[in-house]
Amino acid sequence: MHDAVKTLSTDVLVVGGGGAGLRSAIAATEANPKLKVTLLSKVYPMRSHTVAAEGGAAAVTMAHDSLQAHFDDTVAGSDWLAEQGVVDYFVKHAFDELVQLEHWGCPWSRQQSGEVQVRRFGGMKTERTWFAADKTGFHILHTLFQTSLKYPQISRLDEYFVLDLLVHDRHCYGVVAIEIASGELVQIKAASVILATGGAGRVYQFNTNGGIVTGDGMALAYRHGVALRDMEFVQYHPTGLPGSGILITEACRGEGGILLNKDGYRYLQDYGLGPETPPGQPQNKTMELGPRDKLSQAFWHEQQQGRTIQHPQGEVVHLDLRHLGQRFLLERLPFICELAKAYVNVDPVKSPIPIRPAVHYTMGGILTDTNCATSIAGLYAVGECASVGLHGANRLGSNSLTELLVFGKVAGREAARVASESHPAATEALLSSLTEQALTPLKRLHNSNGTERWHELRQQLAESMEQGCGIYRSEAGLQQTLSTLNQLKQSYQQLRLGDTGKAFNTELLHALELGFGLDVAEAMCQAALERKESRGAHQRQEPGLTKRNDEDFLRHSLAFYQTGSAARIEWQAVDTSLSPPAERRYGGQQQPDNPPKESC
Amino acid sequence: MSRKPYQPPMPASWWLKHPAYRFYMLREATVVPLLFFVASLLYGLYALGQGEASWLHYLAWLQQPWVIALNSLALVASLFHAWTFFALFPQVMPLRFGSRTLPAWLMVSAQWAGVLLVILALWWLLGGVDAHQ
Amino acid sequence: MPTLEMRLQRYRPEQDSAPHWQDFRVEYDDSTSVLDALEQIKAEQDSSLSYRWSCRMAICGSCGIMVNGVPKLGCKTFLRDYPKGLQLAPLGNFPVEKDLIVDMSRFLEHLTAIKPYLIAEAAPQGQPHRQTPAQLARYKQFSNCINCGLCYAACPQFGLKPDFLGPAAIALAHRYNLDSRDSGKAERMAQLNSDNGVWGCTFVGYCSTVCPKGVDPAAAVNQGKIASTLDGVIQWFKPAKEPRNKEQSK
Repeated sequence: MHDAVKTLSTDVLVVGGGGAGLRSAIAATEANPKLKVTLLSKVYPMRSHTVAAEGGAAAVTMAHDSLQAHFDDTVAGSDWLAEQGVVDYFVKHAFDELVQLEHWGCPWSRQQSGEVQVRRFGGMKTERTWFAADKTGFHILHTLFQTSLKYPQISRLDEYFVLDLLVHDRHCYGVVAIEIASGELVQIKAASVILATGGAGRVYQFNTNGGIVTGDGMALAYRHGVALRDMEFVQYHPTGLPGSGILITEACRGEGGILLNKDGYRYLQDYGLGPETPPGQPQNKTMELGPRDKLSQAFWHEQQQGRTIQHPQGEVVHLDLRHLGQRFLLERLPFICELAKAYVNVDPVKSPIPIRPAVHYTMGGILTDTNCATSIAGLYAVGECASVGLHGANRLGSNSLTELLVFGKVAGREAARVASESHPAATEALLSSLTEQALTPLKRLHNSNGTERWHELRQQLAESMEQGCGIYRSEAGLQQTLSTLNQLKQSYQQLRLGDTGKAFNTELLHALELGFGLDVAEAMCQAALERKESRGAHQRQEPGLTKRNDEDFLRHSLAFYQTGSAARIEWQAVDTSLSPPAERRYGGQQQPDNPPKESC
Repeated sequence: MSRKPYQPPMPASWWLKHPAYRFYMLREATVVPLLFFVASLLYGLYALGQGEASWLHYLAWLQQPWVIALNSLALVASLFHAWTFFALFPQVMPLRFGSRTLPAWLMVSAQWAGVLLVILALWWLLGGVDAHQ
Repeated sequence: MPTLEMRLQRYRPEQDSAPHWQDFRVEYDDSTSVLDALEQIKAEQDSSLSYRWSCRMAICGSCGIMVNGVPKLGCKTFLRDYPKGLQLAPLGNFPVEKDLIVDMSRFLEHLTAIKPYLIAEAAPQGQPHRQTPAQLARYKQFSNCINCGLCYAACPQFGLKPDFLGPAAIALAHRYNLDSRDSGKAERMAQLNSDNGVWGCTFVGYCSTVCPKGVDPAAAVNQGKIASTLDGVIQWFKPAKEPRNKEQSK
């Protein structure tokens, strides 16, 4: 069916047009302006899911703050599973990157004096989150996209979908992609390839993610033998809208919003996050400003005890912003007001917003070193699809937007460096044989006589992940989900497409995304099954496994793809050279030398 | 080639398709009665230069019902156009004080107040002429 | 669950010479968006239906569509508001690629043409610029454009003359021109002064009505006319050795 394959050639190929992809494309071209940089994305760059990030981006900014404090918060937030050398590099470069974005025109919110304004965020000892109202990701993405238009060296392949990487002998030579508009196949040769394809939240039912967040890049690298690290750590954001899962930013709580159960009681004080703070006077790392994992877990317990509220679209608790007043809400949280009115018919000025936890972020991803390099030569990964080691078992809100910038720059620079060196070219024969292999799944989909439909399989995948691999996990539940995944993989072989056209065949793309999602989901479950402890976002229910167990599990999980059988899990030591593991403390339990900062 | 973009035609009647377009065309059409008004004004000037008989003929012409009707239409059209123009003005020239913009309703009201002042001034001027006679 | 009649414009470029209508019936409740309804149709009735979407929360700008002839975001338009049924067509004024998907490439060319990035002489070393909330407020509204293209579907001038830069691109140029950190206005005026720039607009104003983000592109374009006029006057009085911007663009 697909006989002709076009060929293109570039120096640095960036797959993914979100924040990380755009930042790395710009960094690559600035590192060596002679290089051809190609930015390929399955959607127009400004549609990428960075656009939906709301709250802000963290960097040490205030005089009373310190790099050490940001480091400590991130490491404690990660439940000591972050790579400490990476965190150290990150906190040291965060400020410069946010300034760089300011120099590119990002409309950061300001103080009266004209200096950049910072806000409180969960799990952060002090205010260090830069924001652009409550559309920070949107403004970052558009600033980067618009800035990228300044560089004639960056060419774009908008609405191209990557089918596979061209890998031989642990070396990446490029990708094979479909031009979505025409269905034409194209082989793209590149000296280095950066994967910046985002997370995989769509393998779950309730998620804050866009439809495109399907784990494509993770699966591409994984199938070629690159490990996926720490995949069991999936972040539930505590405040999503019921039904849709649409994100209600943590900044609501940073600005003083409170969470109430059905009795109007601020239940977080019962979960090690108290003492209760007066409404509208938030204290860092206390109550509503605890980390996301703890807040989502507290919801689960409230639900178990019947203290959540019945909503037409499921169990919820209330996020109350009323005491902040209309003027403040419209200035600081205008998008939240718009979303609440449109999607749950609630005016936050007048009524509390119903919310529930929803899958938000995959802490784990493609294993890379500190230079964003994977174990395949010429292949890099950055952003949510990667695991450079910043987030460990739980990401702190507002660290990921900064991550895109700090490590986007690193990935771009490194990919440019490698592309500038001379390296062995692959023969045409090798490339066409690799391309031929890459087209196998496509041919199977087109020629299938099966009866399975993409939509039903995706639905089962999402439901089964929610059931077995949610906020709290057990061996029985995980085994059940793994067995469902196994069946789904069988059924996937029998998938049949209703759309046989070539132009904009979105059903074909959804089917391919489902294939990626199944592999990623399996890595998540297998790693969750073998991590027999509770740490950060991974909580086991069985007796004896409900606590952190540093002796056996102060280690990263590495999932390796196995054709025809479940993922193989290996364990990797964690870099704890700068801060030895200790207990995570929030609210009133914080160490006396780190008293919660007074609000200013 | 699987790509074959279809360019939808733009029919000459496009402006009939939506109230917003019809309103826009109506606003643009106000120029027609105004043209008539300007033409009759020029005719008056010409008549004045041609002597009394011509002027009296012009005055008689002005009093014909259809001329009165067309000039009344011109008045309505100019008021309508002013209304749309005044409403658009805050968009075109927003007045800022610090980080706040002067509310649109205030700017629109101020413009109508200006119109009222001009009318009053004219009325006073013309009234003054009457008093001297 | 109640059901609703939906009429969709279909176009399959490999089979059809022109679009045609097809009827579907969907289940809906109070929270069902047009996008949800499309997903229902694709999942249960016709998997070959194509449309763009991603975020579901009116920020990514993918799902622009004509609902009963009015440009809307599918994710922020609800079936509950159309008890008599609704008709969906691809965004107006753009070439149709397949079903509800249009070719956005011209829109992107226009965006690129107006140099939508900060052109600053020298930024403070290692520190952000100072910008007061009042300075931010001057352009903030125009920086909220999500590039959904609804304003282009609303603009008859773009429909009549696709080379017209159009509402969103001009609003974005205006956004940077108003930014206290920017000094690239002179470079952008060449495009804005041209016949396809601000003067291509006749102030229909419908672009601002349909904007889902309150950007008010009509205001930007018409403020741009004043800037363009002033620019012309200034150029007139400048010594002749500097070429006028308008010539530069040619």
